[in-house]
Amino acid sequence: MKLFFLILLFTVQVSAQNNGQKWGKANYSYAIKIDDGQRDFSIDSKSPERLVLKSILDSYWFFISDVDGDNCSFSPTCSNFFLQAVRKTNLVQGTLMFFDRFTRDMDIYNKFDHYPEVEDGHFYDPVSLYTLNKNEIKYIPPSVVIKSE
Amino acid sequence: MKKIFLLFIFFFTTGFPQAVKQNEINLFSPANIKKFADYLFCSNDYLRAALEYEKYFSLYPNDSVKFKIATAYSKIGDYDKSALMFDSFTKSSELFPYAKMEYFKSLFQEKNYFRLRSSILNIDSINNFRFAYQAKELYYYSYLFTIDTLPPESIYLAHFDKTDIRQIKNFYEWKTDPPHKSPLLAALLSAVIPGAGKFYVDQVADGITALVATASLGYLSYTDFKAGHYFRGWLFGGLAAGFYAGNIYGSAAAAQIYNVKIQFDFENSIGVFINAKNFFTPGINFCK
Repeated sequence: MKLFFLILLFTVQVSAQNNGQKWGKANYSYAIKIDDGQRDFSIDSKSPERLVLKSILDSYWFFISDVDGDNCSFSPTCSNFFLQAVRKTNLVQGTLMFFDRFTRDMDIYNKFDHYPEVEDGHFYDPVSLYTLNKNEIKYIPPSVVIKSE
Repeated sequence: MKKIFLLFIFFFTTGFPQAVKQNEINLFSPANIKKFADYLFCSNDYLRAALEYEKYFSLYPNDSVKFKIATAYSKIGDYDKSALMFDSFTKSSELFPYAKMEYFKSLFQEKNYFRLRSSILNIDSINNFRFAYQAKELYYYSYLFTIDTLPPESIYLAHFDKTDIRQIKNFYEWKTDPPHKSPLLAALLSAVIPGAGKFYVDQVADGITALVATASLGYLSYTDFKAGHYFRGWLFGGLAAGFYAGNIYGSAAAAQIYNVKIQFDFENSIGVFINAKNFFTPGINFCK
């Protein structure tokens, strides 16, 4: 009898805790998230020049950049900027945009005053600002932190 | 004793929730929904307040609640919805002039300047409108954000308070003659002296970098050709040409970005000026 009441008591008390999720297992992942959006090794065969350029960039990423580490202060990186610029415009304009970007990358002064930062610490400098199309320029003040690209 | 104790606990744990349930108040009665919505509204929890008011409004539609819903949407930046609701007030409503003014403010904050101007012009008699002065101010402020030609300065400034004239005059002058930089001139300057176009658009450090890169690579190319190292000469020469041409292109792009930036700063400064005057504070305070 005593046992029956004890079981009943505990059953009532335990069933009152209806927030089962509170006691559920937390699904944490401790894996370091790798942003592989910057590395697309696919073959770009839309035009011969893009095929050559993409092959050179793939080789550069595989043999040099990935081994050298994350050294470009910008997002997208200079090599990605080059690729995106060529895709958005053409080889000649894309190359001019790349040389200009490379000059800006070498400039070690005042980056904090000119570019907004992405959460990971890179300076945000998208291709759309440099296509010479005024309507594509979306100005973001340097004080803003970009959540994700 | 133990049996009595266990029986007491048993009846207490099973009987108590039933007793509570019997005396439970109806939290979802219309009066309580409104009370809760008022509490949320005055706690600045506008999104949830709007949802609660809408529940109440579906049961008992009235202008006061509709005004609060529209104000809540305006507060959370959903100007499309707030403009729609403020515009739905009929002339017979006591809140009509307030709602009309809030409607204009919503259109302004939504950056729908053309609709704002046409709506203000469509008021039957603007001078008889209770908030005619504020509406006219909004009307003329909106010109600073569009590409439309501004009215003559004397007419424009006549619609503003004397204490604000100096600042408004500055805005007017900026708008009529914005200090834009010419992309063509920036490109030409960089063509003459590498980096000069970047100096022109206030990117001095970029200009120096472009000058140093072009000059040093050009010099390396020159010395290599002179020494008979043709491969290196062409390599450095090609890179120098790339930096030179890239800088001309980049100077034109930088001038465009400069123009967008100063336009952004200009509009920002007008926003700061208007906000400092508490222009967008709702006309009715429901939380006194």
